[in-house]
Amino acid sequence: MRRSRIVISLIAVVVAIVIQTTVFAAGRIEPFGVAPALVMLVLIGVAPHIETEYLVLLGFTAGILVDLIGSGTLGLWAMAYTAVAYVAGRFRARFSDSVFMSLVAAFVLTVFGGLVYVFLGTLFGQETVGEPNVVAKIVLPAVWNLVLAYPVFWALRYAFAPRDRKWAS
Amino acid sequence: MFPQSGRRPNRTTILFLALVAVGFMIATFDVRSETNAVGDVLREGTQSVFTPFQKATDWVVSPVVGFVDGVSNLAGLRDENTRLEGRVRELEAQVRATDALEEQVTQLELINGLELAEQLSTVTASIYSSGATPFDNVRYIDKGANDGILVGQAVVDEDGLIGRVDLVSANDARVRLITDPLVSIGVRVQSTNETGIVSGRGEGPLRLEMFRASQPIYEGALVVTDGSRFPPGLVVGTVAETAAAEVGFVLRSVVEPAARLSQIDYVKVIVGFSPIDAGLEGGVVPTSPDPSIDPAATGDG
Repeated sequence: MRRSRIVISLIAVVVAIVIQTTVFAAGRIEPFGVAPALVMLVLIGVAPHIETEYLVLLGFTAGILVDLIGSGTLGLWAMAYTAVAYVAGRFRARFSDSVFMSLVAAFVLTVFGGLVYVFLGTLFGQETVGEPNVVAKIVLPAVWNLVLAYPVFWALRYAFAPRDRKWAS
Repeated sequence: MFPQSGRRPNRTTILFLALVAVGFMIATFDVRSETNAVGDVLREGTQSVFTPFQKATDWVVSPVVGFVDGVSNLAGLRDENTRLEGRVRELEAQVRATDALEEQVTQLELINGLELAEQLSTVTASIYSSGATPFDNVRYIDKGANDGILVGQAVVDEDGLIGRVDLVSANDARVRLITDPLVSIGVRVQSTNETGIVSGRGEGPLRLEMFRASQPIYEGALVVTDGSRFPPGLVVGTVAETAAAEVGFVLRSVVEPAARLSQIDYVKVIVGFSPIDAGLEGGVVPTSPDPSIDPAATGDG
């Protein structure tokens, strides 16, 4: 694994967090009251470009950062993102070469991540399952991720492209 | 996906399980720790790293975001304008009717030694960031300890209470919204003058519980802070469901927040009021208070 690919992955996650908390912040661009889950989308988009072990570590790191910036219990998003990264890494061969399957992966894995978080939040006493609009908070980010998946995945593919060529050679 | 029986789990699966275990430990520690000092230090450190990037991004994209937001809301603006014109006329009439009453209230509160919320010192701050998920109920403001902001201070806008400061660094602070499930506020229903506690539910209306209510509360009744934690008289919202008090039971209802929490750009932090240290973590009022303690009596003195 080339170090530059890991660095690019980390930068992509950090940029996604900054955009998520400013452009797609509460009260900014939030179609129907819920913003896309950009950090999760980037994590899914990075899956075909780095090894699954690094992807799982990246997922945990991204989740911890999201936890630290947010208001919930520390570690919940870390576990949810780690689970998403693990599943994305396991199934990356099935969606890395197909646009349709990558869009499906973006939707399904975003819903999966939201469900894992709601389950863990409830387990740790946050009453997330009882929150108003909890279904919308899980499904709508997945819908927006479906819309954004193609440009985000294209940008990630472009960022990794020279490294992929070197890696292949 | 998972290894078949008889085969050893591969390195990725072991790593995944190890990280989930670490996540569980972190979450347990965060929930169980009484002071939460480690978590706060980590949160402050992380936010201080992200703040310059967030502020720069906010500065660049604010006009674009404002334009996009404006365009997306264009369709509903005409109806909203007509509705608001009617509402303004209605309110102007109410203002004229309540001028005399307000003067009386001012005099009474001065006699009782209370500082009016509008007379307290405030610091105006801009919101530049929020949490990263729809489950987060925090906003980051561009004023911090250097501007006199302390943990526990009330944050308001022109409509009413927004939340409380729960994390402060030199030039920034984090505001936990009143809709957060971890926030509870001592309140008084103005129509009955009885006290209770509102707590967040993650989004939307707040949960109101009144432990010793003797009178019913009606939809539309104004709910204000009782002065135990925040300055007295800050508007929290209005009662959204009529509820009657039953002997021996808690009166439960819901309160619609006065502030439009999803559309705030600027806020005021009330810095001229010292929150009472009740020895509770993060300034959170317990949801089942000791009945021998009257919140109204502890705060205003």
